[in-house]
Amino acid sequence: MKLDLDQLRELIRLLDEANLTEIEVEHDDDRIRVRRDPVPGAAAAESLAPLTAAGQEPASAALALDDDDGAYVTSPFVGTFYRAPSPDGEPFVDIGDSVVPGQVLCIVEAMKLMNEIEAEAAGTIVEVLVENGKPVEYGDRLFRFEIG
Amino acid sequence: MFEKVLIANRGEIALRVIRTCRELGLRTVAVHSEIDAEALHTRLADEAICIGPADPSRSYLHIPAIIAAAEITGADAVHPGYGFLSENPKFAETCAQCGLEFIGPLPEQMRLWGDKVSARAMAKSLGLPTIEGTELIEDIEDAVRKAEGLGFPVLLKASGGGGGRGMHVVQSKEGLRAVFEMARAESRVAFGNDALYLEKFLERPRHIEFQILGDKQGNIHVLGERECSIQRRHQKILEEAPSVALTDEMRRDMSATVRRAMSEAGYLSAGTLEFLLDERGALTFLEMNPRIQVEHPVTELVMGIDLISEQIRIADGQPLELPAQPLTPRGHAIECRINAEDPDTFAPSPGIITELHMAGGTGVRVDSGIYGGGRVPPHYDPLVAKLIVHAPTRVQAIAKMRRALSETIIGGIRTNIPLHQRILEHPAFEEGRISTNFMDELDS
Repeated sequence: MKLDLDQLRELIRLLDEANLTEIEVEHDDDRIRVRRDPVPGAAAAESLAPLTAAGQEPASAALALDDDDGAYVTSPFVGTFYRAPSPDGEPFVDIGDSVVPGQVLCIVEAMKLMNEIEAEAAGTIVEVLVENGKPVEYGDRLFRFEIG
Repeated sequence: MFEKVLIANRGEIALRVIRTCRELGLRTVAVHSEIDAEALHTRLADEAICIGPADPSRSYLHIPAIIAAAEITGADAVHPGYGFLSENPKFAETCAQCGLEFIGPLPEQMRLWGDKVSARAMAKSLGLPTIEGTELIEDIEDAVRKAEGLGFPVLLKASGGGGGRGMHVVQSKEGLRAVFEMARAESRVAFGNDALYLEKFLERPRHIEFQILGDKQGNIHVLGERECSIQRRHQKILEEAPSVALTDEMRRDMSATVRRAMSEAGYLSAGTLEFLLDERGALTFLEMNPRIQVEHPVTELVMGIDLISEQIRIADGQPLELPAQPLTPRGHAIECRINAEDPDTFAPSPGIITELHMAGGTGVRVDSGIYGGGRVPPHYDPLVAKLIVHAPTRVQAIAKMRRALSETIIGGIRTNIPLHQRILEHPAFEEGRISTNFMDELDS
């Protein structure tokens, strides 16, 4: 199954309309779960089986400690950077937000797959380094981050 | 014509493709791992995208990362080079699904020719000469009967084996009796089945391969042969074209046979059919490589053709515009594969290139991915440069290669240049008396 943004939007809309917390769609060997976060208004998409079906490892954020003035969240994929789950949605995180480990920070889309990038550690977002919708390479810095 | 080509490879072959693209006015996208951020292909392409860490399974072999790099750069075609994903039908299919032109054969052709058993069956059905062999053996008496039918020496092979494993060279009836039960037990343990068969064993074969090109209109061209008998552990070290072992008549006949067979099978893009040539002058099919090969430059030099350019034109749907068959080689070309390795122990020798001077002058071509101050990472193939020469005769080509090797300076790492010098000084090599055993006999 190919997942595109329109399908994803449709699932999120359904989730909102029916006031559900979670929808899971299964088709052949592919499975997609859309789940509403505890944070009001934010819905996150998780693409489960397709990731491995495409020979791809699940998304995990990389936290790089640098010698200058802090830590950076770097992109574990080459793809397109999205700050929000949908074009008109609220960003997952913004400057000054405190995040907990496992919290979704952004999406990097590669081959129509929405890879959620999660925080590896607790801390505060100091700076957003990439514009929404821009391409990112493997290892590109996405956020400046203050651990703690 | 597509406008932007992503090269899904690194090293000298990535540069080779970038060069032709530039001459054709096509823009290029290099993909690279973190450790290759300063590599030459990364620096010489119009754009470069980091696709993953040094580990090839997470970068150069990682299909989603390469496709994503093509998506974000707007590339419309992909050249896979050799190695990595070049013979991966899944990659070719994924490219097609994502609207990218894959510059190479069709996925089903990769599947067919990539599997040794189906490739040999196909070769046989196409009328290509295949090695004499038997059906599966029932017991030792059956084995002896069949071996005598073939004539010793024979190769006792496990049906489930491959890659040089599960094979025994047997010289006599007594030898066969001695080894048979052990081979059967070995096969059971190693491959989960004890089916054995026999093949004629060639004691001093030469490795001869034919370069082909096929276009989307169904035309097949055969671009002569290369001789790649100088090998170590099935890895080619030095190649030349044409082969001294083929007469004009053999070349013409074999080219016609290959052309007929591949026209019937259908084949797109560049490919190579490998054969063994026995001492009686008989060729038998070994395997087919559905990709551009490392040693393609020797063919380019003697045939006066740019194979990468032809691959690109074919992918674009243009018919081949080659002169009528048969193409005859002009002069003689030799290629030495310069590897970052110890010339005696063959241990890999990665590192930083501290000093670099590559050979030049008439008839010398260098295809390389290194530069002074650049790094040879330990994660990839040890091939750092190909030194290729072209001269009117083989004797002159050997003299030119010796001269070119003597000019070449690669500091900071060890290379197999001294090994090449020993090969080129050897009387048997000079006289063209070579076989795939040459390297084993070099010091004896």
